[in-house]
Amino acid sequence: MTAASPLVFVVDDDPSVRKSVTRLLESSGYAVEAFASAREFLARAPHPGPCCLVLDVRMPGLTGLELQERLVAGGRHMSIVFVTGHVDVPQSVKAMKVGAVDLLTKPVDAEDLLAAVQRCVAKSTRDVSMAARVTDVQRRVKMLTAREMEVFALVVTGMLNKQIAGALGIGEKTVKVHRARVMEKMRAGSVAELVRLADEVGVIVPK
Amino acid sequence: MKISRGSSAGPQAGTAELGLRSLLNRFVIRRTNRALEERLRFEALLSELSAGLIHVTAGEIDAALGGALRQVATFLGVDRANLEEYVGGEPTVRLTWELPGLESPPSVMDADQFPWSADTLRRGKSVRFSRIDELPAEAATDRASYARAGTRSKVSLPLRAGGPMLGVLSFGSVRREYAWPDELVERLKLLSQAFASALERKRVELSLAERLRFEKLLSSLSTAFSHLAADEFDREIQRGLRQIVEFLGVDRGSLIEFSRDGSTARSWAIEEWMDVGEFPWMTARLQRGDTVSFSQLENFPAEAAVDRQSYLAHRVKPQVAVPLLAGGTVVGGLVFSAVGAERAGSDELTQHLHLLGEVFANALSRKQTELEAQRLRQDLTHIGRVSALGELTASLAHELSQPLTAILYNAQTAERLLAADVVDPAKLREIVSDIIADDKRAGDVISRLRTLLKKGDPEFVPLDLNEIVGEVAWLMRSDAIVRNLPLILELAPDLPNVRGDRVQLQQVVLNLVLNGLEAMREPHAGQRTLVIRTSRDGAAAVRVEIQDAGPGIDAKDLDRMFEPLYTTKAEGLGMGLAIVRTIVDAHGGGLGAVNNAQGGATVHFTLPVETKDTE
Repeated sequence: MTAASPLVFVVDDDPSVRKSVTRLLESSGYAVEAFASAREFLARAPHPGPCCLVLDVRMPGLTGLELQERLVAGGRHMSIVFVTGHVDVPQSVKAMKVGAVDLLTKPVDAEDLLAAVQRCVAKSTRDVSMAARVTDVQRRVKMLTAREMEVFALVVTGMLNKQIAGALGIGEKTVKVHRARVMEKMRAGSVAELVRLADEVGVIVPK
Repeated sequence: MKISRGSSAGPQAGTAELGLRSLLNRFVIRRTNRALEERLRFEALLSELSAGLIHVTAGEIDAALGGALRQVATFLGVDRANLEEYVGGEPTVRLTWELPGLESPPSVMDADQFPWSADTLRRGKSVRFSRIDELPAEAATDRASYARAGTRSKVSLPLRAGGPMLGVLSFGSVRREYAWPDELVERLKLLSQAFASALERKRVELSLAERLRFEKLLSSLSTAFSHLAADEFDREIQRGLRQIVEFLGVDRGSLIEFSRDGSTARSWAIEEWMDVGEFPWMTARLQRGDTVSFSQLENFPAEAAVDRQSYLAHRVKPQVAVPLLAGGTVVGGLVFSAVGAERAGSDELTQHLHLLGEVFANALSRKQTELEAQRLRQDLTHIGRVSALGELTASLAHELSQPLTAILYNAQTAERLLAADVVDPAKLREIVSDIIADDKRAGDVISRLRTLLKKGDPEFVPLDLNEIVGEVAWLMRSDAIVRNLPLILELAPDLPNVRGDRVQLQQVVLNLVLNGLEAMREPHAGQRTLVIRTSRDGAAAVRVEIQDAGPGIDAKDLDRMFEPLYTTKAEGLGMGLAIVRTIVDAHGGGLGAVNNAQGGATVHFTLPVETKDTE
């Protein structure tokens, strides 16, 4: 596998299950890191590349769902495949809302698990590239001056130069200059593209 | 030796000779004197015997009568003397004396051999003959019987003391004919009165003593049966039957228990008991509540032919069977029979048996009630166990799904490896051995479950309470995980064994643990842990505590929490702790609950340490 090879984390308190699921994933070509408890996993440094977490819902100490909450609270949005002994609808919904890819009921068929892990890794890969792009766009936004930022925020709302000039209390010509700078710094070819970039980073519209 | 010969001793001759006359006179006088002397001696003997009989105790009367009989017979120079005692018309005691070499004569009251004599005696008259041909014509049978027995002369006197005939006193001669002058017979009648009153006294005293013995027997049986534990029942019933058999002087005694549907449930017996099926008539009558008593099989009605055959086969002569009634239903029967002599059952005997029957009836109905209650308790504990397991279903499913998950992963990994032709035998071996281990683990869960669900009679064996607690904790492990309530075990090392039923004690711990977990369901402040603690409680007991960190127990509930159907839970049956109490009680242990200073409650139970000599 290359450096980009996706990493699968397994967290399960049951040694037999942990060992067998690790064995299955490794035989399918994944790099696997297994943990006996949620705390052990939290102690590990976040993995920057695409990865997937195979998590047992029911564990002594911190449960799978509690681990998920901690990760979200810490800003780590991981793709998770939950494995549970019994289906609990409210818990499943909650888990899916905060980013679970799949929720499988034990005993899990190997094909189902591998398919779920694959979906999970794909989502993680997308997330990782999306995150990289957001970082890039944010870097461009940071290059804008305060005035350029104001003009940017109003341009994406669809206002004309004259309206922007009126709103900011500056001349229409000045708006034109700022606008050209924004398009250049943001590397946007059109207003439509600028709007998409603003969406990606979530530019806040000032009053 | 001999006294007056009466008419046979007439004057020898009569000569006119004076000397001879005076000689004769002297002879007559001397002989008269001698006769007088002998008569005086006889009277002295009789009065001595009569006086003597007054002072002997009831138990010694037979011996005294036997001695008197011998003395009188010897004095009279007769060959045989006998005294037959009758109670209720039946011969009971027969005292005989005869010259060495002679056999005892048959009883003069035997109506087959001596119809006329027996009838005469029964009518209160004496029978006397010096020669057999003195007997009247209607006594032809008697005559033949006397001749057969070698009796040449005999006197038989009925013994009476105001009431019915008590017996017959007879003196007989075999070697020669013997005259019975009126004067002698009168004296013998006096003797017979002394004998009769002695017999009467014996009868009264004995019946008094017997009544006393009976009262004692009755009260000892009532006491023995009143606190009868189920496991002592058979032994005590046997003992009771034995006492009655000895008291009645019969050969066999049995208790039959009828089941509710009317068929025979069980029987206990002293000596052999014959199958109830052999006695359909008697059984049917007992079940109807009748007393069945007979002294002669000939009296049986035609419909009792099967019974009669059985009695003949078992050589049973007389029998008394009384029904046992409890609350208006026949719960059994008490049967006593003799195989030896035929013996009539008197009213008194039947009355005694009815009284004894009540004691047995009570014991039987108590036992049936006890068994019923025991069965109910067992059902209840079983239901309790099943419902407790119901609460554990989710965790047991988890417990089973873990190994099953691992097995499936491993098997499918092996399948994939084989399909991909990446066969590494070492790796496959490892996978297969993991599969086997997990399968065993799943099997273990099921077998533990089965033990807990087992419905059966309790088995009391030496047990380590730490082990029991460990097993329950194992069972509860995943449940505690689900509830996110850690179980903490604090087990005392070197805990002595207790004696008990493993499944029942597991259930006690399980119910108390479930109760503790339930108490902590509602979230509240503080450490949410359940502690199971074992310790010694003095030298003679072991203590198990289940400490929760719930809201504690209301003071008003503390007293009542172990009562059946008492519950504070909306969905509770109120049986969990009641079952705990039933089981702990059955193990001779104690139970209690307190609120902890730091919050929550601690429920504890103690069990006596097993002693080596406990059976």
